[in-house]
Amino acid sequence: MAVGALAAGGTAWGLEAASGSDSPTASDRDLVDLTKSHAFYDQPHPPGIQTPPQRHCIVMTFDMSEGTVGSDLQTLLARWSAAISRLMAGQPVGQVQPTRTEAIGQDTGEASGLDPASLTVTVGLGPGLFDKRFGLATKRPALLRPLPVLPSDALVTSQSGGDLSLQVCSDDPQVTYHAVRNLARMARDTVQTRWTVIGFGRASAGGGQQTPRNLLGFKDGTRNVREPEEFDRFVWLKDAGWMTGGTYQVVRKIEMDIEIWDADRVSDQEHIFGRTKLEGAPLTGRTEMDTPNFSAQAKDGTPVIDPTAHIALAAAENNQGVKILRRGYNYTDGINQFGQLDAGLLFIAYVNDPQHFITLQRRLGASDLLNEYISHVGSGIFAVPPTPATGHYIGEQLFA
Amino acid sequence: MPVSPTRLSPTRRLAATTAAGVVSLLALAACGSSGDDSGSTSSATAASDVAPVKDGAAQVGVTLTQGSGGDQCQLDHAKAAAGPVTFTVTNKDAASITEVELISDQRILGEKENLAPGLSAVSFTVTLGGGTYQVYCPGAATENQSFTVTGQAAATPTGDAAALLTAGTKEYGAYAAQVLSDMQTAVGNLASAVDSGNLAEAKKQYALARPFYEKVESAVEGFVKPGYKADDNKGNLDYLIDMRASNLDPAVGWHGFHAIERDLYQKGAITAQTKKYATELQANTKELATVSKTLTYKPEDLANGAAGLLEEVQSNKIKGEEELYSHLDLVDFAANVEGAQQAFAYLKPGLEKIDPTLTDNVAKQFDNVDAALEKYKDPTQAGGYKLWTPALRATDAASLSKTVQALQDPLSQIAQKVATAQ
Repeated sequence: MAVGALAAGGTAWGLEAASGSDSPTASDRDLVDLTKSHAFYDQPHPPGIQTPPQRHCIVMTFDMSEGTVGSDLQTLLARWSAAISRLMAGQPVGQVQPTRTEAIGQDTGEASGLDPASLTVTVGLGPGLFDKRFGLATKRPALLRPLPVLPSDALVTSQSGGDLSLQVCSDDPQVTYHAVRNLARMARDTVQTRWTVIGFGRASAGGGQQTPRNLLGFKDGTRNVREPEEFDRFVWLKDAGWMTGGTYQVVRKIEMDIEIWDADRVSDQEHIFGRTKLEGAPLTGRTEMDTPNFSAQAKDGTPVIDPTAHIALAAAENNQGVKILRRGYNYTDGINQFGQLDAGLLFIAYVNDPQHFITLQRRLGASDLLNEYISHVGSGIFAVPPTPATGHYIGEQLFA
Repeated sequence: MPVSPTRLSPTRRLAATTAAGVVSLLALAACGSSGDDSGSTSSATAASDVAPVKDGAAQVGVTLTQGSGGDQCQLDHAKAAAGPVTFTVTNKDAASITEVELISDQRILGEKENLAPGLSAVSFTVTLGGGTYQVYCPGAATENQSFTVTGQAAATPTGDAAALLTAGTKEYGAYAAQVLSDMQTAVGNLASAVDSGNLAEAKKQYALARPFYEKVESAVEGFVKPGYKADDNKGNLDYLIDMRASNLDPAVGWHGFHAIERDLYQKGAITAQTKKYATELQANTKELATVSKTLTYKPEDLANGAAGLLEEVQSNKIKGEEELYSHLDLVDFAANVEGAQQAFAYLKPGLEKIDPTLTDNVAKQFDNVDAALEKYKDPTQAGGYKLWTPALRATDAASLSKTVQALQDPLSQIAQKVATAQ
């Protein structure tokens, strides 16, 4: 497999360093260079958002423990920031082999000897942090509120909400898990874990990447936010005080009825999505990147793309031009209590106005033909502060 | 639980009896860093002048910065006159350093943790006598730097913490011996009830006898009867007293508390074999109580023992594996916590001098665990706690486990803080 071969060969293949213009050619477009790393400090925006989606991703959310106060949160954010900068550079968060005999390790060690694998960690602050507990009520990011109940929501409390979120992505599942584990570990006397989704394959493309597929077998993210000017328009916050340069994160755990879907004829699946399965072309076009024509009609006068097809309801042209950045991953939780494959989409979106997500999901939740095969079981919304400068930490302005 | 080879013999502790005697720390300090084998010791070159005194204490600044060769830990003064010295630590931009300690011959005299770039400067003050000390910055390019104090010993001896810790270990030894002596009485009552064939009374006495061993098990586990090999469970007192279905060694079979538990609660009958189990348990308890009186402990033994008891909670009680038939797991849970809390209490006077923040945090987390356990108290049950049934586990185990986790983490830091010089 290309991943291993390239990793073994190190940089001899001459791939560009992080954030370079890595426009793919037919031969190398989905190769992974495990030696690559991304910078944490002094970046215009937080990591793990515009970063080309890595192969693996875990989202974990946390609640502040009972009785914790503002200074506990402050220390946590400062320690997390320092640790994240280390992890993203491929370094342990502290000693694996302690100098002292009686000491526990500061880093758990399972990523020792592994490459940085393009690790990014994105920290999100939930609406709950801005209640009375931590004295931060006046610092609430302007648009951060719990999401309203949306059509077809089937949310499970134990898989929703949270005071803090970590989105941890890399090209090596062990590097990813090591980062989540160590960040959770150093926070254990301040926060309690709430829910987590372990994604195993990207289901959204970033700039320059081939469009990957979700577990329904369809390409996902063909018309995603990709260009820098789109990021400025739809993702990054401007003139937002201390949040300027940051964004909002919406996480949804979307369960798929895999077996039922697999028993559906492909022509019906294509009708539901509004695209062909293999090529991913809109039903009105020939190739993936063809622009869908939502007014095209068949000879019998019916629309070629059903107005309640997934792409029709989600398309920017049908939603006052609104776009959201999707950065989702496929996930599996094994086998459910009914003996079915438990899997779906770890949907992650970044928006400079959560209302954009709400608008789209209201329409999708109400009428999407796909709803027969999916259900939204987990949900969370978080504000992602801008990235800190060297010598500072995430959210430092909250405590000024 | 499986016995780790390093804990097999009580002789290890017995041999160390006098090593941690009350030696003045100032005397040790004067010996310098000869016992320090961690390598890179260097003196701060650009900081040889004596620290200025302000507010009655010499002021030393410690600045943590990132550098091309790794993160740096820099002292603005590498010398001070004897007396109170305040170290003020600023983490400017060193992401890999989270902790700074002042050490004398491997003993921590003062420290600051949870350092991270961007946080306000923090300080600690220690009273130092003349001698050479080390400033230890784990994660820095140069982890150890020497710090010299000139002049005589100050009024408050810095050996205080060590003396307090040693005193604490002696008191803990007496506590552990007392618990095991009480256990003899309780196991005697259990054996009598079993002998009389009274099932209800035997169940009651079983519940009453359980907590003693659970309070001190990590301090006394790993004892092998004379004449047995270390890997033979036939001679392993911990196995013979507290083996469970989940760690059954088929070559040795059922013994001790849980064999009796199985008969009383699962089979619902007292047989001749049950009586044998009870008699054997009585004899083994006596043997353990006797050997416990000869034991001595080092401060790190108490710390590791307390951490071990919480591991017991997480690995066996939370899952309901310990009391598979009686569901008395919360009784054992509470006893494990109490035993850990006792060990901590005996370390506390000394630990407070070394690391007040950690001490406070551990104390706070113990309070949280106590409060969480409070909800499960039930005076109508023998043992005083609700039965940890599968249904209750399903709803409550995760939250209870998280509360214990929050205690486990700071608690597991204690051993290295109180460890005595090797």
